[in-house]
Amino acid sequence: MNIIIPIKQVPETSNVKMDKETGTMIRDGVVSVINPLDLYAIEAGIQLKEQFGGKVTVLTMGPQAATKALKEAIAMGCDEGILVSDRKFAGADTWATSYTLSEAIKHIGEYDLVLAGERATDGDTGQVGPGIAAWLDIPLATYVSKIDEVTSNNITVERLVEEGYQILELPLPALLTVVKEISNPRLPTLRGKKKARVSEVPIMSAADLQLDDARIGLKGSPTKVVKIGYPKVTRGGKIVTAVGEEGTNEAVEGLIKFLESKELI
Amino acid sequence: MKYNLVTLEIVEELKRICGPKNVFSDEEKMEAYSHDETNAAEYGHMPEVVVTPTTAEEISQIVKLANRELIPITPRGAGSGLSGGAIPIFGGILLSVEKMNKVLDIDYGNMMITTETGIVTNEINNIIKEKGLFYAGYPMSLETCYLGGNIAENAGGGKAVKYGVTGKYIMGMELVTPTGDIVHLGGKLSKDVTGYDLKQLIVGSEGTLGIVTNATIRLTGLPTAKSTLLVLYKTPKDAIDTVPVIMAKGTIPVSMEFMDKLSVQTACEYLNESLPYQQAGAMLLIEVDGTNQEQVELDAEAIGDLCMENGAIEVYVADNYTTQERIWSVRRNIAEAFKVVSPIQSLEDIVVPISAIPDIIPELDRLSEMYDIKIPCYGHAGDGNLHATLVKNPNHTMEHWHEIEAKALRELYQITKKLGGKISGEHGIGVKRKKYMLENMDPVELSLMKGIKKAWDPNYIMNPGKMFDLE
Repeated sequence: MNIIIPIKQVPETSNVKMDKETGTMIRDGVVSVINPLDLYAIEAGIQLKEQFGGKVTVLTMGPQAATKALKEAIAMGCDEGILVSDRKFAGADTWATSYTLSEAIKHIGEYDLVLAGERATDGDTGQVGPGIAAWLDIPLATYVSKIDEVTSNNITVERLVEEGYQILELPLPALLTVVKEISNPRLPTLRGKKKARVSEVPIMSAADLQLDDARIGLKGSPTKVVKIGYPKVTRGGKIVTAVGEEGTNEAVEGLIKFLESKELI
Repeated sequence: MKYNLVTLEIVEELKRICGPKNVFSDEEKMEAYSHDETNAAEYGHMPEVVVTPTTAEEISQIVKLANRELIPITPRGAGSGLSGGAIPIFGGILLSVEKMNKVLDIDYGNMMITTETGIVTNEINNIIKEKGLFYAGYPMSLETCYLGGNIAENAGGGKAVKYGVTGKYIMGMELVTPTGDIVHLGGKLSKDVTGYDLKQLIVGSEGTLGIVTNATIRLTGLPTAKSTLLVLYKTPKDAIDTVPVIMAKGTIPVSMEFMDKLSVQTACEYLNESLPYQQAGAMLLIEVDGTNQEQVELDAEAIGDLCMENGAIEVYVADNYTTQERIWSVRRNIAEAFKVVSPIQSLEDIVVPISAIPDIIPELDRLSEMYDIKIPCYGHAGDGNLHATLVKNPNHTMEHWHEIEAKALRELYQITKKLGGKISGEHGIGVKRKKYMLENMDPVELSLMKGIKKAWDPNYIMNPGKMFDLE
């Protein structure tokens, strides 16, 4: 089974500071890591390879420094990393990014499955995975929490939806975006690290992929950021106070009714 | 020792000294000050009044009042101690430094910071990080504990293998003595042999020789790169046997933490973490730091290779914050996890010469079998400091537990002593280990300590009943 996993490098977000004026993240001195939600896709991919054999290729679009993320994925157990990198790709929105990545995937060749994280923790759109599926014109299942069965032609998955689970059978090749319920990402091993260090990461440029300048990077991006604002926090806790036995009973009843109204009990 | 009670008049006088806001005696509020991280049911004791002064002068007046009225004073930091050092076992005045958390001076020229002692230890690093500086003290409770408590206990923790313990970084301090005088010890000096080194006497004195109100700490350059290994072994012995091998090879890791299977499993279940512990009898968490990421990773790899050559079954590598936090979080949460699973336990911190660590493991197994209790073992293998923890068997009655706890501890301490070790490496004696220190210490050494206490605290009001009893 040949699996391709597009991943993203994101700023490590445990200690991120925002620029109050521009509304953007201060990226100076912030370390980049593999998008935490992509780790679940990587783990799911490695597990499928362990079960069915084949090859796992990780793919990312970014500057040369993004090689580090690819090598980390190789250290976890992926077979190959490919960097899609070109100055012309800079400023790409999710439209241009998914187009570029889909072209890179076509360039890689035969594949059975594309696995992506649910979304990136920086942009938070969740659009690139589905976008790639659209450009490749292959079936898509988002929010996949479990892979039930894989046959030579089909894959059966469980999707996490608001009301519960939805079971879908998709013909292969297909693209899945996965949620964290699907796997527990493993840590890179020392053997994996050593393998990653000596592994060559090929670079695909715009020219290699024969891409039209008008469809990539800033030029190819229809999204325009008009304004960045801070959301208002509308959630608020409610403190139920109770005086005396009667008051307590009333408060408890009120709480039960509230929880029932929310279908929590 | 007979002390007087805190009367209403004394409460009023305390209010005059540090303001009514900083004195309280209602039970509900005082409860939080009646225990530390030791078992409250066993060691807890209510104070009669709690004071939260804001200056050394106020503390000086409070201490003088306590001497005059013969009322015991118990100094307190964040209350995260593990030996009962901050528990007011005779009631009296509980003096918390929680409101004294100001940074007084950041001296980049001398690479030192002077701060009040109610500051949360981790805050110090947050403040100086931007300037590329670093305070190497790293107690495992760093996100809650105060510098004052670290000094009183001479806190060790997870980075002591390379950086040493708190005392190494304390250059000077302001101290309110047990008689209420304010004195400045040490200073911003790299060398100082002008008389006895009293500041180092205060470090680790468990609040029995005075209250440190501010301290000057030596800083080092901030290590910007680190790499963490999680090494899996079949048996605890395999893991422990590797420690001296690594230490002898040159690159001194920042941390070399040992965790046996029971510890890892309990912490993983508590955190819902999925480290592959099932196949491993023990793990070592090894961290290397420096300023060049590439070099640090190479150093870590060399150590990893060494582990593989010495019986490791797998080596995991964490080179970024996310994966490093994942591993460290397991180690840091072991004690907390055991509190949830089995709240009745005795968390120990015996310390032995590094080369004696392999000998202690089979002894723990023997004790565990003999008394039919679990003894998870984890801790700072790199400096011989192990948290062997006696956990009550749920099938035993409390009466039986108390009986075997004392017996098992006694044996554990005897074994430790035989191997050239001591009963506490970093948690301190407090009330919890007082009788065991008495049993295990050279009487001459003990008598010298008592002599110091008598000279410093003639009325025996400063944190009495801790470490040793005078009579």
